[in-house]
Amino acid sequence: MLVKALSGLALAFAIGLSSAQAADVTVRMLHVNETGDPFWKKIAEDYNATHKGVKVTVDYMENEAYKAKLPTLLQSDDRPDIIYSWAGGVMKAQIEAGYIQDISAHKAEFDQVIYPAPLSAYEVDGKLYGVSVQLSEVLLIYNKAMLAKAGIDPAAMKTWDGFLDVLKKTKGAGVTPLIMGGADKWPMHFFYSYLLMRLGGADVLTTAETTEGGFKAQPFVDAGAKLKELAALEPFQEGWLGTKYLPSQGQFGDGKGAMALQLNGFIQGQQKNATDGKGIPNDQIGQAPFPEVPGGKGKITDTLGGVQGFLVTKDAPPEAIDFLKYFVSAEAQKASAEAGVYVPATKGTDAFIKNPLVAEVARAISNSTWHQNFLDQDLGPSVGRVVNDVSVAIAAGDMTPEEGAQQIQDAWDQR
Amino acid sequence: MTETALQRHRPRKGSLVLPKSDVVPASLAAPMTGLPRFLILCFVAALVLVPLLATALGGFKELGELRTNPFGLPRVWQWENYWGILASARYWRILGNSLFISAVTVALTLAVAAPAAFAFAHLRFFGQRFLFNYFILGLTFPFATAILPLFIKVRDLGLLDTHWGIILPQVAFSQALSILLMRNAFRQLPSELLDAALVDGCGYARFFLWITLPLSRPILATVAVITFVVSWNNFLLPLVVINTNAKYPWTLGLMDYQGEFIVAWQLILAFITLTILPAVLMFVLAQRYIVSGLTAGAVKG
Amino acid sequence: MADTTASPPGKASYVHSGGLTALIFLPPALTLFTVFVILPIGEAGWYGFYNWNGLAALENFVGLQNYQQLLANKTFHQAFINNLLIIAVSLAVQLPLALSMAVLLADRLVGSVAFRMMFFLPYILADVAAGLIWRFMFDGDYGPISQIWQALGGDPLYILADRDWAYAAVLTVIVWKYFGFHMMLYIAGLQNIDRNLYEAAAIDGASPWQRFRHITLPGLSPMIKLSVFFSLLGSLQFFDMIVSLTGGGPLNSSHTMVSFLYYFGIGRMRVGFGSAVGVLLFILCATVAFGYKRLLMRDDHD
Repeated sequence: MLVKALSGLALAFAIGLSSAQAADVTVRMLHVNETGDPFWKKIAEDYNATHKGVKVTVDYMENEAYKAKLPTLLQSDDRPDIIYSWAGGVMKAQIEAGYIQDISAHKAEFDQVIYPAPLSAYEVDGKLYGVSVQLSEVLLIYNKAMLAKAGIDPAAMKTWDGFLDVLKKTKGAGVTPLIMGGADKWPMHFFYSYLLMRLGGADVLTTAETTEGGFKAQPFVDAGAKLKELAALEPFQEGWLGTKYLPSQGQFGDGKGAMALQLNGFIQGQQKNATDGKGIPNDQIGQAPFPEVPGGKGKITDTLGGVQGFLVTKDAPPEAIDFLKYFVSAEAQKASAEAGVYVPATKGTDAFIKNPLVAEVARAISNSTWHQNFLDQDLGPSVGRVVNDVSVAIAAGDMTPEEGAQQIQDAWDQR
Repeated sequence: MTETALQRHRPRKGSLVLPKSDVVPASLAAPMTGLPRFLILCFVAALVLVPLLATALGGFKELGELRTNPFGLPRVWQWENYWGILASARYWRILGNSLFISAVTVALTLAVAAPAAFAFAHLRFFGQRFLFNYFILGLTFPFATAILPLFIKVRDLGLLDTHWGIILPQVAFSQALSILLMRNAFRQLPSELLDAALVDGCGYARFFLWITLPLSRPILATVAVITFVVSWNNFLLPLVVINTNAKYPWTLGLMDYQGEFIVAWQLILAFITLTILPAVLMFVLAQRYIVSGLTAGAVKG
Repeated sequence: MADTTASPPGKASYVHSGGLTALIFLPPALTLFTVFVILPIGEAGWYGFYNWNGLAALENFVGLQNYQQLLANKTFHQAFINNLLIIAVSLAVQLPLALSMAVLLADRLVGSVAFRMMFFLPYILADVAAGLIWRFMFDGDYGPISQIWQALGGDPLYILADRDWAYAAVLTVIVWKYFGFHMMLYIAGLQNIDRNLYEAAAIDGASPWQRFRHITLPGLSPMIKLSVFFSLLGSLQFFDMIVSLTGGGPLNSSHTMVSFLYYFGIGRMRVGFGSAVGVLLFILCATVAFGYKRLLMRDDHD
């Protein structure tokens, strides 16, 4: 009885509130891109200036905090209208739960503006639920000066054994080879993911998902074994297990390590989060693809990366979709492309990219033979997190590759 | 309870539960007096206070200086770290939210538990023993155990992301201890008062409002202190219920700030100092009440 | 309105029949308590039998599977051990510390009150804030403890990144935070001991140690039992500080049962699984609460 009474009260309250707000339509966008935030806020400002009666606000939340809060955020009546997404299994779970709006009616318009491949990542069963805004690639980012000091030629990193040699040599020269934000776990799963891709080839995941016990297949175990091999060299900085992602950017910017296997956005991040606020300048940064693994089915042109974008939540006003259309337009994305904060998924923006590093990434993605989405997003919420856990555990010597594969399989079966 | 217990609980200005005599025979004190005792106490005090001082001072330093000068006074006092926070709406908003939540929780707890405690103290009715034990169940577990179903219930009631979604569960969980404490206290009042009142035709409600409550100020203060402190410091419940930054109580606001400025320890330290300042100030100003309240609640519960 | 039946004159009783008044005084407390306390714990028992993500329909009944997974989960084992460690440290380190401070501060010597308040101060801080303060203290790059270590000739000390030592850091903070509270309990207990016993013992020639062993300790026994009771219950609920100090890491070595519930139950939206953890916690808490009171505090209660 009390429940009904309270719900009735809440309903009346809500109706009262919403009718009182006939003035401005508010649209709230929530995202995790620290370096993109100022640009995206500017896009909202521009939109608000030209659209009376609509007020768009753009909020930034830290990556891990966002992922942790998202489930409860979506269940609240106060959910944001536009939410950041990495597509994949997590997005599918959100759609299945009914919290995302179907925007297929606008597909034709978005088709004109966004490259087809990224846009299709936001389609499920033929229906469109969101848009792709940025493309990213995970690659080996290195500090040219530090590698030179250790006498390393980056070309040596093209093969796996060459890469391990480089690590040994770098360490021998007294330079920390790799910066790793182990506390957040997902940075480590990049290594595992790439190894899996290089060993298993383009259908490794689809095969695993559709086969009984598929996640215990050889590529999964081998990827773990190679990761273990790498970690045994102790290439990471002191205290890596306790370092979170953003501070790890700061450490790279402070010159504490020579390389990082990270998103291209890491480059701007390390400049922002270094102790002196400046970090390593662009001309001293090099980028290299993840090495080839001998005997593996994957190619060096296969890329791991994101197709990041936004989803429109249920009950968001039509103004939200309208804002999104403006947001992904080449005109709005121009500033971000020029500043090189990320690779836009909008057609025609590569002409604006001035930063050679970012241009390189854009090329790599468009020439990619297989662009795989981050595993911890692609495989869905609970399995994805287990992949992260397993990667760190194997690297820390806490788990064998076989156990790791078993755990992923268990998580998949129980999801 | 015995007569001395009754004496103890008779309301006296300024004193709550600590017995009248604060003096204990010198022979009780450890064989140490004077300098050795003082040195030991100072050593422990240093261990207790140094982290707090390092935090407060760290807020005045630049980030790099934290690495070279951990305990000393700042080379250059960076007042803008603190001023920036004090001037931000965010800081006052999170404190304001906590104040609102805690104040309403206390008010509602007292308003709801006191009558119930009175009923258990003085009234005989069907199912009394059973109902009382029912409430005592609430003492046996923290709400962490039921946090998931509680989240779902709060969600289903439409209270997710609202302050009432925090207040109502907090009030509910504080019922057990509050009713227990107040019932015991109400029973300490001379029973002749109630008998006389009833004979005179005064109803229970009026007796409760005009006699029991005014005479029970100490126990009401105790319950208020306990409830306020628990609510003020609550983290898990708001963490699960609140999602909008603007509605965060200070505990969530603190972790939110840390997440946002994670590479800038000097700012985080300033923020910590400023957010624990209200509690420290409250403590300094009202030590006796707070200590008595928290320990009395423990003892009598 | 209210039932005004008074008891016969001459019979002082504090209980009167008052069913009607009770009907007005009780329902608010009863409703709130039932809706937000009793129902959820009951529902936890119910949800524990399902595999549910909290969003879809509740239909995937799995029987005892959640409990099986839980009891086989290595991280949960570690969390359980960690909870036991809190209790162990409370008994082995915190209790003696609090007791010795209480003995030193129970009397009204100069500065006693000041020291008491200083030691009690950490207790009133929120766990989450205390955790963050010590996260700074233990930080390998910027924290004072690492600086001291380096000044003594060591490399930067990354305690919180060390799987074996991170939890030791947590335990240290727990002692720092709570010993003051227990100290105040003991002081209250000490002040209730009859001074005549001490005078008599002194006259009989008992040494300070003997007086401590035979008068102080027995006299404090109820307070000590209470203090241990709080340590027990408190340890089972421990959560806030884990989030701000270690986040459960590294490698899930510093979880407690409640933080396990949060990260693995709520964080991954496994409501059924999390509810199973909750039920287990409830059983543990209830056992401690009832068992402890029964066994050890029989004589101290009315």
